[in-house]
Amino acid sequence: MKKFSLVEFSVDRPRLVVALAVIITLAFLTQFPKIRTDTNPKNMLPETSDVRVWNSEVEKTFGLYEDMIALGIKNEKGVLNRETLEKIDRITSEAVRLKGVASKDVTSFTTIDNVTVEGETLNVRPLMSVPPKTDEEVGALRKALFDNRMFINRIISKDEKTTAIFIPLEKGADGKEIADRLKEIVGKEKGDEKYYIAGDPVARDTFGAEMFKLMSIFAPIAGAVMLLVRYLMFRDFFLSVTLMMDAMISIVWSMGLLIALGFPVHIMSSMAPVFLMAIATDSVHIFNEFYFRYREKKDKRTAIVETMHAVGRPVRYTALATAAGFAVLLFMSIIPVRVFGGVVAFGTVALRLLSFSFIPAMFTFVKAEKMETASMSEDMETGRSSQILKALAGFGAHRPKVTVYAGLILLVIATIGLTKIKINNNMVEWFSKKSEVRIADRIMNESLGGTSLAYIVAISSEDDFIKTPEAMRHIEGLQRHLETLPVVGKTTSVADFVKRINRVLHNDDPAFDKVPDSKDEIGQFLFLFSMSAKPADLDNVVDYQFRKANIWVQLKTWDAQAMRDVIKAAEEYKAAHPIPMELRPAGTAYFNLVWNNEVLWDMVKGFVIALIAVFVILVFNFRSVKWAIIGYIPLLFTIILIFGVVGFIGKDFDMPISVLSCLSLGMAVDFAIHFIGRFKQRLAEQVPGESLSDALLWTTARPGKGIMRNALLFASAFSVMLFAPLTPYVTVGAFIASMMTLSALLTIIYLPALIVLFQKRLV
Amino acid sequence: MKSIIFYLLCIPYLILPLTASAETAEEAIKRAQAAFLYAGYDMKARVVMKLIAKDGKERMREMTMLRKDFEEGGDQKYFIYFYQPADVRNMSFMVWKYPKKDDDRWIFIPALNMVRKIAASDRRSSFVGSDFTYEDISGRDIEDDNHSFGKEEKVGERDCLVIKSVPKDEKGTDYSYKLSWIDKERSLPLKEEYYSKKGDIEKVFSADEVKELSGIFTITKRTMKNIANGHRTEVSFEKTEYNVKIEDGLFTERALKNPPKRWIE
Repeated sequence: MKKFSLVEFSVDRPRLVVALAVIITLAFLTQFPKIRTDTNPKNMLPETSDVRVWNSEVEKTFGLYEDMIALGIKNEKGVLNRETLEKIDRITSEAVRLKGVASKDVTSFTTIDNVTVEGETLNVRPLMSVPPKTDEEVGALRKALFDNRMFINRIISKDEKTTAIFIPLEKGADGKEIADRLKEIVGKEKGDEKYYIAGDPVARDTFGAEMFKLMSIFAPIAGAVMLLVRYLMFRDFFLSVTLMMDAMISIVWSMGLLIALGFPVHIMSSMAPVFLMAIATDSVHIFNEFYFRYREKKDKRTAIVETMHAVGRPVRYTALATAAGFAVLLFMSIIPVRVFGGVVAFGTVALRLLSFSFIPAMFTFVKAEKMETASMSEDMETGRSSQILKALAGFGAHRPKVTVYAGLILLVIATIGLTKIKINNNMVEWFSKKSEVRIADRIMNESLGGTSLAYIVAISSEDDFIKTPEAMRHIEGLQRHLETLPVVGKTTSVADFVKRINRVLHNDDPAFDKVPDSKDEIGQFLFLFSMSAKPADLDNVVDYQFRKANIWVQLKTWDAQAMRDVIKAAEEYKAAHPIPMELRPAGTAYFNLVWNNEVLWDMVKGFVIALIAVFVILVFNFRSVKWAIIGYIPLLFTIILIFGVVGFIGKDFDMPISVLSCLSLGMAVDFAIHFIGRFKQRLAEQVPGESLSDALLWTTARPGKGIMRNALLFASAFSVMLFAPLTPYVTVGAFIASMMTLSALLTIIYLPALIVLFQKRLV
Repeated sequence: MKSIIFYLLCIPYLILPLTASAETAEEAIKRAQAAFLYAGYDMKARVVMKLIAKDGKERMREMTMLRKDFEEGGDQKYFIYFYQPADVRNMSFMVWKYPKKDDDRWIFIPALNMVRKIAASDRRSSFVGSDFTYEDISGRDIEDDNHSFGKEEKVGERDCLVIKSVPKDEKGTDYSYKLSWIDKERSLPLKEEYYSKKGDIEKVFSADEVKELSGIFTITKRTMKNIANGHRTEVSFEKTEYNVKIEDGLFTERALKNPPKRWIE
């Protein structure tokens, strides 16, 4: 009995196969209207994750908000003039009316409480209830601002040029939407003032929204470029479209499956289509070989069946390697990482299924004459590209030692770069330097305390402990210690309030700008303050039992490293000044650090497992450990070289890079699989009179051409992304383009050198 | 015969709604304030306040509150002496309330043995850190708002008038309007809802227990719930006594430093 062959079945009943593919695609398409998107990178960690549970506990205890927007107002002539102050008043009162804004806790000149003394009377009231009407009143406001240290760098810059309105958001509010509304509000104001909208929610939600937008622009452009390059390669529009359809079908299937299973499309899985498009280029090898075969056999059916026979094994194994590279992500702990891995792995398998059915079926529709003309150029002896390839491979094959040593030197250098890589994620830096988000962040971090907010929660085990002078002094000391870090711009705690009230009660005598000596004084001062101030003032910095205090730490950068420094400094301080209080980090900056660690380390872990999995697949493919090692080397080299460069140019290992690493694995090994697979086939065919290096040159000229075509296709399509406004796209473009070129070159130059060098052990 | 008596008995019930609707919304609010804030000539009560955070954690405030009216619906003086929290024991607080202008407030700080006047610019600021504002405790000038009748509604078993009060000057308030459910018979506000400037419900006051004490219906348990931030404050009035003859001399800075024993025991 003859074994069932999908290829032969497809060639014999092409219409049925194509119809089936279309029907299945339509079925998956029906799922698309149900699409749910989740552009919030925060949701990469589930709400039940430790850090989110802890952060929301801290938010509850201290009446805080998860997200805060900082609206900066800058006037080169200084903001303390009647016009600007009126604008501050107007903008604040409009901002508090926005849906999604936690109105009660908006902090601005008009809402922030100030404690002052006039004769025997204590004033606790907003700093600026009404905008000043005279210059004397402006002068009084200036004095009030600079007399209270709590305001400096928080709501007024030292040079008087910048102020900020802090706008906390209610749960679930969209930071970008509110930022857009704020832009409308400030857009109505005329004058010299410049406005800057910064903060994690703005960056996060803007990025999420932009990313989806860009995906819908760049994926089609990349597709179109691929189509064009393919057309230039094969000179047949129909077949170029076929190749494209192959990718599109698998994208529809896998995204359809994702949606049907009820998963939202996260920022990570939104990249899946582009990745699948990249993976689909592997079918170039089929086209490549088909043209050669057709030229030799002149019969379509035979050419198709033989092509699939020849490239079937490498194509299957490259697919397996790619799928495995992504499938390992299924075993990671972060759910969107798992979903992403699953979708791409599924898409890869779908692509291969199509390679053996849909593509051969489509081949049968191409007219014989057209094929004739197209394949004319595919002559191994005279084709220009084949000649160049042969020259490259010849270099490796004839000077194997030089090649291998040169490679080793490169590798050593790259390894040095590799050690310089920092695992870090800074979302603001995902925007280009000239983007509004980035400029706003830079300006505000230059003049004020910092847009990135962290908390250090001091936890004691006894009620009212925070009211003790020891605890207060500890907190104060910690603040001063943290402020020595260059990344820390401003800290605020309950101790600041206590000191302020102490001074004010003593007729504004600076000698009393300190923590008082008794618990009673502290308790009474705080009580006095709570009698007149907004409850949030104290709630934000101490819990109800006075067991816990919350220290606000404003950071001048969103780097995960900054938070790491803060935590380290807090631990140092704690070790040097023992007191029965635990110090725990919290807040957005802390979340970002944990996100950074968990998500990125998860990806690193997945990457390492994938490296191992790919090796195992190579062993199975070549049925030889030695060949597997040889085939593994171009992959390893490519990865080390790329990460070496990443290390040298000081680019952080961030989310986009981490996702790409997995892709690079699956793709970079492909060329070696094709090369070695076909080379061994060629050896097995035992062409009379052909030496080992002749066989190598043949492999370079024929499947090697497919490899170069594949790499070229990739590089051209992804270089489009170099022009994207978001740096992760530039990264993706540069990374993929250089990875494909590198691994193709390494396969064509380095593999022959290695094979020649180790031929005695291999053959 | 039987039917005549029945009709006679019905008469008051027919007239009552008429008299009620003859009253303006403003008068109804005035009646409510008199019953709620001006009951008796003076009052002494032990007040326990529980401030409850979103996570269920509590802060206690325990105090004696003494109130004396100097004019029905007009000037009042409050004297408050704190027992809890422990570190504020002996702290005392005095408010002279005038409907038409800002209150005068003084506080005694035992740790510094010092009396300080506190400027009270904002009546909407929190009373001792609770969800009640000063205005919620001592009342808002009736003429500051436009009052209008809404539907009639039951709160629990009690028939109530619903009155909408919209501040004339929005700048001075943190809400856009207030709905009050006023017990038709006893005049006490049984429920109040405060709506934010965005139109969302923001704070809810409820009278949780009403008792008749020396002939005066008194809200002995009340709650103010802050919908926006999940806070609430529960207040219970214990040992409430009316017409205890508080002397004017209690409301002085001297008494603030050294409160007469009989009032604070």
